[in-house]
Amino acid sequence: MDTTKPSDFTDLTCTNLMIKLKILLKKLAAGGELQFFATREQVDNTCSQFISQGYDVKWDQSADNSYLVTMKK
Amino acid sequence: MTSSYFLFCGEVSFERLQWINGCFPEKDSPGKSGHSKVTGAVNSCNLYLTGDALMSLVDARLEKNWDSLFSDSMVRVIADGDELRLHGLRDEVCTRYPEVNVTGDRSSADEITFWQSLVNHIQEDWTGTDKMAFLLCYSPYMSRTPVYMLRFLKSAVEAGLTPELYSYLDGVHVAHTYQRPSEFENIGEGIVALSTVAGGSGEEPWFGACSRCATARGYYMKNPDTGGCEPVSCIDAITIRPLREILDRFIGNHPILAHSCGGTSVSGTPDQPGTDTANPILTVMITNTPYVSEWTFGGLSMAVAAAMGGIETRVIFIEQGVYSLCGNHEVTPEDRVFNVQEMVEATSDITGLQYYVYTPSLKERGLTVGECQLSVEMVDGPGLGALLGIQDNANNSRPVRTIFF
Repeated sequence: MDTTKPSDFTDLTCTNLMIKLKILLKKLAAGGELQFFATREQVDNTCSQFISQGYDVKWDQSADNSYLVTMKK
Repeated sequence: MTSSYFLFCGEVSFERLQWINGCFPEKDSPGKSGHSKVTGAVNSCNLYLTGDALMSLVDARLEKNWDSLFSDSMVRVIADGDELRLHGLRDEVCTRYPEVNVTGDRSSADEITFWQSLVNHIQEDWTGTDKMAFLLCYSPYMSRTPVYMLRFLKSAVEAGLTPELYSYLDGVHVAHTYQRPSEFENIGEGIVALSTVAGGSGEEPWFGACSRCATARGYYMKNPDTGGCEPVSCIDAITIRPLREILDRFIGNHPILAHSCGGTSVSGTPDQPGTDTANPILTVMITNTPYVSEWTFGGLSMAVAAAMGGIETRVIFIEQGVYSLCGNHEVTPEDRVFNVQEMVEATSDITGLQYYVYTPSLKERGLTVGECQLSVEMVDGPGLGALLGIQDNANNSRPVRTIFF
């Protein structure tokens, strides 16, 4: 069982989150998924942009301004 | 026809003068075995020197490079007379290089200062501009760059232009309240005064500081009650904003200066700020090694954010900046830094963002680009000249802003 804890990216700026996600997604194997915590602003400005690039992006609110985001290739 | 300028406030190295020289077009000259510079060409370039850049004029190691540049009728050198006097170099520079235009002394009300001369020239070339901006990356007191920033923006206000300040990296320290230097010019007070004077003249000064840089340095903290971030110990004249809001100010045809920068204006540029063809291209010169300072990360972050914001952006790795592309960087989570090579590779598919490396900088260091950096294009002297808008090229009918990191 994969017990990797989702990273907390809530402190990253939208630009840096975009860069980080592009790096991580590039390393992701086909069918693999990426999970991390993001703020509402990050979800709206950055994470959702990956939908148009062919990624399956879902998010669930986990705290006041924290969302567990799942991205799949 | 293009008109370009460089402003250097910091050291101008042998290598930098060499590549500047190489940017200008050459043609075969009858009767000579080598090449000579084109004379009477339509493009012109002004080199503005202040601060440590002035030392290059009296450095014997650079004499040949300067002679070569002075033999080129397209290049004009303007040196800051006040700073030359301060450093005791004014007479020596005037004697050694009569070609150098040494600007007047600030103590004389009749003479035009270095910064007024710079504002006048840029205002002429960037037709229709109603504002001028400075991207500040240095902190006050340790560096004199914030003093230059104030002098420049004050001159801009005197010329009836709206001043804009973009504080980035260590430049956000100028926003700290309660600055009280015992000896130096108070930069915080200077910014407040500038804001008041510009505002009193009916202008709308825009002074912003990058939120990422401000957060890292303790000027922007999360309020646990509201969940939002708020400025801490900051002067009111400067607002902390996301980088993308600062980059929104890059839309439009106005010059943006920095500690080391350049620009090319194009006569006949459509006067339609905000349109793709009128917006200047942003050129980010990465001149420092990748991890020892924040320069490379700061430059790349700005480039990526600019491209994502719709600004056509070019990143050029040059001088020490070529180390970013060499070898295979192995970054562990404990290093707590972005792997610059991964950053370049991952972002190379962003529309409007293009990476280049200046091959002479690689060759002089005996380096080659790592195998993983396939998205980086090689450029030589003429290629660099074209990218900076100095050499005529089918693609350079757009103004260019160049910022060194």
